[in-house]
Amino acid sequence: MDSNWAGEHLQVIRTLMERSAIYRRTLAPIMLLLGILGLLAAAGGWFFGLESGRAFVLYWTAIGLVGLCGAYLMVRRQSLKEAEPFWSPPTRRVTQALLPPLFAGLIAGILAVFPAAREALQIWWLPPLWMVLYGCALHAAGFFMPRGMKLFGWGFIVSGGALAGCLSCAGGVYALLHAHIVMGASFGGFHLAYGLYLYFTENRKNEA
Amino acid sequence: MNPEPFLQLDRVIHEKGRMAIMALLAASPELSFTELRDTLSMTDGNLSVHLRTLQEAGYVALTKTFQNRKPLTTCALTPTGRNLFSNYINLLEQIVQQNKAK
Repeated sequence: MDSNWAGEHLQVIRTLMERSAIYRRTLAPIMLLLGILGLLAAAGGWFFGLESGRAFVLYWTAIGLVGLCGAYLMVRRQSLKEAEPFWSPPTRRVTQALLPPLFAGLIAGILAVFPAAREALQIWWLPPLWMVLYGCALHAAGFFMPRGMKLFGWGFIVSGGALAGCLSCAGGVYALLHAHIVMGASFGGFHLAYGLYLYFTENRKNEA
Repeated sequence: MNPEPFLQLDRVIHEKGRMAIMALLAASPELSFTELRDTLSMTDGNLSVHLRTLQEAGYVALTKTFQNRKPLTTCALTPTGRNLFSNYINLLEQIVQQNKAK
């Protein structure tokens, strides 16, 4: 008898139990929240004319933190509703998976506001860089979440890469106001589209 | 290897599909039929057969309700099913420990 089969069974059970936890039903509202937040933030950035590099970075970093806090509050709300622990192994694992790329994005943002680094890392490069890093974070978290999450992560990575390619060709000489539109279309639009998709498909699935 | 724990493994649970269903339900208060089907990439027929086996054994309770006038089937572990799944995991751990001790 293969001596490893029992351990493999346990590993399968563990993975399935972690995947099963509280995210499935919270995901659509979280995505909708992030989508609306992203679109509103883009409109705000455009409307208030945040054109300096420092303002752009601080503004979107703050929006990112608000979005992250909002997402965790919704998970918290769901866990309270279901009488489940908030800081469960799945929550911990998803957080651990998300943190490194998000932290790298934060560091890139902080570096970009310093004058010495601003020349090396032009502000216009931040949106595609953030998209790629965020895509990596989603892809990593996708190992503990429904399968579509990895694909969603790839969407950000590919779009960020394509945007970086376009910027390289164009020389990255657009006004920073346009970067707000890019942020809104990517972080706002993608989340909203995925949230709507989840919302309608989950409703339809539950009807079976 | 002492075969005793292996012989005690619950044959209803000790099947790939049913074990996966039990694992998912053990981590959630309840899941809909479609959530189970999509998470496990099973066909409707396959999942129905496994759920029926688990239901007949008294491990899983199925509830049929309506949501927006459309049928909704939810699945949850019974207290017996939860206990037996816990025993199943304990036995697997025993087997792993035995193998380590060898």
